[in-house]
Formats: sequence, C-alpha cells, structure tokens
Amino acid sequence: MEDPDEELLARIGQGDPAAVRALMGRKLPRVLALANRMLGDPAEAEDVAQETFLRAWKQAPQWKPGQARFDTWLHRVALNLCYDRLRKRREVSADGLPERPDEGPAPDRGLQAQDVGVRVAAAMRGLPDRQREAIVLCHYQELSNIEAAGLMGVSVDALESLLARGRRALRGALADMAGD
Amino acid sequence: MTYERFQELAEAYGGEIGRWPAGDRDDAALFMAQEPELARLALEASTDLDILLDAWRAPPASAALQEAILAAAPAPRHRGLNPMAWLWRAGAGAGLAAACAAGLVLGVALSDATQVQPSDDALSAALASYDELSGLGVGEEA
Repeated sequence: MEDPDEELLARIGQGDPAAVRALMGRKLPRVLALANRMLGDPAEAEDVAQETFLRAWKQAPQWKPGQARFDTWLHRVALNLCYDRLRKRREVSADGLPERPDEGPAPDRGLQAQDVGVRVAAAMRGLPDRQREAIVLCHYQELSNIEAAGLMGVSVDALESLLARGRRALRGALADMAGD
Repeated sequence: MTYERFQELAEAYGGEIGRWPAGDRDDAALFMAQEPELARLALEASTDLDILLDAWRAPPASAALQEAILAAAPAPRHRGLNPMAWLWRAGAGAGLAAACAAGLVLGVALSDATQVQPSDDALSAALASYDELSGLGVGEEA
C-alpha cells in the first residue's frame, strides 16, 4: 500500500523539525476543514484539529508503514473527536437547552456571494449526522467511496444511499438558489 | 451502464464523473458518448448542487492554532545525536589528527637530519595541537 506521507513520518520519527512543519502544512487544512464541516463551529473545529495533531505527533515516531494510510488514520481520529462533540451536544440538547439557531441569511436581505456559503453551511447542519459525514468525506475531503465507506464502517452501497439521501435533502433546502 | 445506474451515481457522487468510483468512470464516459442528452439531464441537477456546495469555504487555520500544534510536536533531536553527523565529524577529526601526527614525525626526522634539536616550546605546541585536534574530532560528540 503506497502512502505519500510515509517519508515525512519517518523524518518526524528522527526528530526533523522541517518534516513536522511540512506535515502540518499538508494536513492541517484538511483536518480543520473536516472538523469545520462536521461541527459547523470554527472554535470547536480548531480544538479538534489541535487534539488530532497531538495524537499524530505521538503516533508518528512509531508509525508502521504498509498497515494503513496515514491520511485515513488521521481522518478516523478527527472524525471520532467530532462525534464525541456531536454526542455531547445532543446530550446537552436533550437536557432542555435550545438547539443552535440557524445562522442563514434572512430571506429579505438579498443573496450576497458569501451568503451562499452560509446557506449551504446551515443546510448541511440540518442533515442527519451520517448523511453529513458521507457528503463531507466524499465531496469535500475527496476520499474514494471505498475509503469513506471504510471510515464510516458501512458498505459502499450504504454509503451511496447516505450520499443520495443527503444530497436530495440539500437540493430541497437550497432549491431557491439552484441555477443562480 | 443503464440510465438508472448513471442517475444513481450522479445523485450520490455529483455531476462530475471524475469524482465517481474509479470502476464506474469508463462505463459512465461511454454512456455519455452514446446518450449525451440523457447524460446531460442526469448530471445537470447534481452539478448545480456541486457548485453550491463548493461555495462553502472552510476558514483557514489561525496563527495561534498553528503555533499550538507546532509547540506540541516532537522536539528536534540534538544535532550531536545524529549518527551520520557523528561519524562524519569523527572521521574528519581523525584525519586532521593523522595529518598533524605525520607532520610532527616529519619535523622530528628533519630535525635529526640537520642535527638541530627541536625546542621544547615547538614540541609542546605540536603535541598540544594534536591533542586539540583529536579532541575536536571525538570529544565534541561525547
């Protein structure tokens, strides 16, 4: 199994500070984007990214080539941390606190360019967690269907079903913007 | 590939067949060539959604986050612990020491030949130089 991160990991294991910086530069945008899109909260996403890298630094010196791709492992760690936080949110919400308010633009405000992103973010937050996860992994993180299904612990058929249902729901939520 | 399967893939993976599962792309391209109008209909709605999804940009990492991540990274190893650097320095030190010793022997031999006794100061200086060079080669890394 070819892993493009193997060489950097070996250098980190030898205490090479340039490799540390290179790995952070290569992976931080992906990890942070994943956490942002899963959680919809920049501060929480930064916490998850920091914790993910803390674990990566511990793992790097003992990384065994050929067993798994480092990028897949990193996604697994970040996803688990996101799910911990989503679970806590649900527990707090079940205790009677209100859900996070929708931050989409008001309908009478007109659609600015950045509003499209805000609307999409709000629509993504409205999806069930598993549908959101499938879309984040396949569309935004650009993982293959086999990698995404493996990370989610489902079959490729089940992944396709989650993707299709999620995208259908998004099309409905964003129907007024399609084709703009 | 049937139209139904082409539609299913578009609904799941979006309007760009380059992002579809690798095993389906060739068949999808063939379907597009054979049924361009049906393919266009199937891809259109998915492409519109892809464009909307891509408008959601994740914020970049803050400087504080990058600093915190780097601060927790494994500390750089001390340069003296690098085995290749140690070997190189030890080799260079030994070479210098050998050159110095050879010079010393040659100097003594020439002195004998010309019946001129070396001064204690010159000998001491040469030995000190040898010790110092030997020390540079190995002692630095000890």
